[in-house]
Amino acid sequence: MMSRASTSQSPPVVASINDVSALFQNAQKYEELSLIGTGAYGTVYKARDLHNGGQIVAMKKVKVALTEDGIPLSTVREIALLRQLEAYRHPNIVRLLDVCHGGQCLERDQQLVLFLVFEHVEQDLDSFLSRAPGPLPESRIRSMSHDIISGVDFLHSHRIVHRDLKPHNLLVTAAGRVKLADFGLAKTYDVEMKLTSVVVTLWYRPPEVLLGARYCSALDVWSAGCVLAQLHTRRPLLPGASDSDQLHRIFRLIGRPPRSEWPDNVSIELDSFPSYPPQDLARILPRIHPHALDLIKGMLVFDPSKRLTAMDCLEHPYFTEEPVA
Amino acid sequence: MPYWYYDKKDLLNTPSFRDGINNDAENRYRKEGARFIIDTGSKMDLGYNTVATGVVYFHRFYMFHSFRTFPRYITACCCLFLAGKVEETPKKCKDIIKVAKSLLTELKFASFGENPKEEVMTLERILLQTIKFDFQVEHPYGYLLKYAKCLKGDKTKLQKMVQMAWTFVNDSLCTTLCLQWEPEVIAVALMFLAGKLSKFEVADWNGRQPKHKVWWDMFVEDITTELLEDICHQVLDLYSPQTQASGNDSPPSVPQPPKNEKKPPSVTPPASVSPVAVTTATKPVVTPIKNGGEVKIEPPKVGITEPIRYTYPFTPIPHYPPVYTAPPPTIPPPPRLPLVPPPMVYPDPPPAPNRFPPVNVPPPNYFTPLPNRGPPPGPPPRPYYPPP
Repeated sequence: MMSRASTSQSPPVVASINDVSALFQNAQKYEELSLIGTGAYGTVYKARDLHNGGQIVAMKKVKVALTEDGIPLSTVREIALLRQLEAYRHPNIVRLLDVCHGGQCLERDQQLVLFLVFEHVEQDLDSFLSRAPGPLPESRIRSMSHDIISGVDFLHSHRIVHRDLKPHNLLVTAAGRVKLADFGLAKTYDVEMKLTSVVVTLWYRPPEVLLGARYCSALDVWSAGCVLAQLHTRRPLLPGASDSDQLHRIFRLIGRPPRSEWPDNVSIELDSFPSYPPQDLARILPRIHPHALDLIKGMLVFDPSKRLTAMDCLEHPYFTEEPVA
Repeated sequence: MPYWYYDKKDLLNTPSFRDGINNDAENRYRKEGARFIIDTGSKMDLGYNTVATGVVYFHRFYMFHSFRTFPRYITACCCLFLAGKVEETPKKCKDIIKVAKSLLTELKFASFGENPKEEVMTLERILLQTIKFDFQVEHPYGYLLKYAKCLKGDKTKLQKMVQMAWTFVNDSLCTTLCLQWEPEVIAVALMFLAGKLSKFEVADWNGRQPKHKVWWDMFVEDITTELLEDICHQVLDLYSPQTQASGNDSPPSVPQPPKNEKKPPSVTPPASVSPVAVTTATKPVVTPIKNGGEVKIEPPKVGITEPIRYTYPFTPIPHYPPVYTAPPPTIPPPPRLPLVPPPMVYPDPPPAPNRFPPVNVPPPNYFTPLPNRGPPPGPPPRPYYPPP
């Protein structure tokens, strides 16, 4: 339980280049406290930062497979990007506090254990919604929706697609602000994702991903739309049980798309779905603010090119007609 | 986030110094390592950004480790190797080692051990940790071009000035300036120096406001003449023989107690050697170039391994090949994708960290503590769940 990660805050004198472990032993910096969760990419621990007044942090452990030429280019690229984003200190992005590695390299399978140290936020949106005693007040829904879309827009403006937006990855601070977590390491995660059998939730996946077609940043807008709807009902909008069930649920909601919008080069035929007529979203989201309804409709559009962009969303009357708290 | 700037005092009390290597020797090792990265990088057609990033890693690395523990040439290779990945110009480790071998004497290459590639791979993990995965480094080049675009005056002279400043920036990599000042400040100082030497008078500039007394007021606040001169001297010292310690090629393997009684070397040379010693703004600095005002574009390359052939002022300038490509004839747009923030669509852009005055400030707390945040900007938190 009390395993430790280290970083070279004040590295001791090392006897030889080959004695890497000596470099890290005296510089232990984080003390693992408890497991927060296990994802497809690795595990997250709650930990104590021994060098910063015992501050509690969230430490994500990611195994990186070393290549012939050391640390993979994609990992270097992604960490550099995360560090660069951090300089903006965007209010809706979780703070990245430190990056370090475990020191030992397991010689046999050439892996490096990487630690990404984030600010610790007590709860995620999933637990926040499950603990809420009743419907959220309209003003709270609006400010949370705005937080989520602001975060997504920030990532998109830096050419990052989150790819896995869901309530588990949205952190809710004590002040009720929402922060995005768990992005920007897609390539680094890929290596381990292939090795784990953790089921990745489908509920926030857009149709283009389920169909195996090309996807782009509009992917995140779909996912955000599903989350926004969930803020109103506190229940997932499209809780599919399998890829195909998920697609059926989507088409039952928004209607089967016209043939002209069906993407090319996908193995699934349009005709394998009944010609579902679109449903009225207002019936699923009763008592919803008409602007909010219009916004979510614009986000849950089959054709990615016709979907609102994150920036469009921010300019939607839902956010502009009244000031967002 | 890590903080990478140091006081002069810290630069004298480094791990190497504490390990019994005197400051002169350390500076020579730094210079040789940096020069070696530049030479290796140029030979492999790596761009100036990659080379400069590698050199900055190198200087940062030795703020945490001693030259006695980590031989400089292998560290240099590792820094260039990692910089290649970061700057999207990756080179194979074995290729870098091959070039290194061709540039080094057999004796120096011996520090790479029996399996050079394995050594570099092991060192990479130490380097990652030491530089705290803080890969992205900014350099003065981009600022130099940006600032030059704003200056008005004789086009030819301006261009000469920029080329000279560019070369000074190249050579400044052999100093510890990147551990003392932000790239913006270094760019201003070396343009100032190049302006003096090439007699380019900045009469006016675009974007000038009444409060701007000199052009750089527009970009960096509160730069004093003393600071500019201090930076210029650190670069000019490279060209003077006084600082060339004739030390050993490698640190002695047996640690010797640091010579504490020895006065640390003065950072500024005697004023008599200095071309920019005049502090009064009214009197123009006498530029010590005698050969008919024919300003060479490339100031001499710092030849560490060669005997010193000149002192500053460098009258008989031998023609050296450029260290690496000087900026193209017309001032191009900044070569890197700008890291400037995109148009802000957020109501509340976080204020950019104050870039100046940066130095002599102890590294702040790694980050502000999280608990006890101020009042929430949004609606008051609502207790959705009973307290535990």
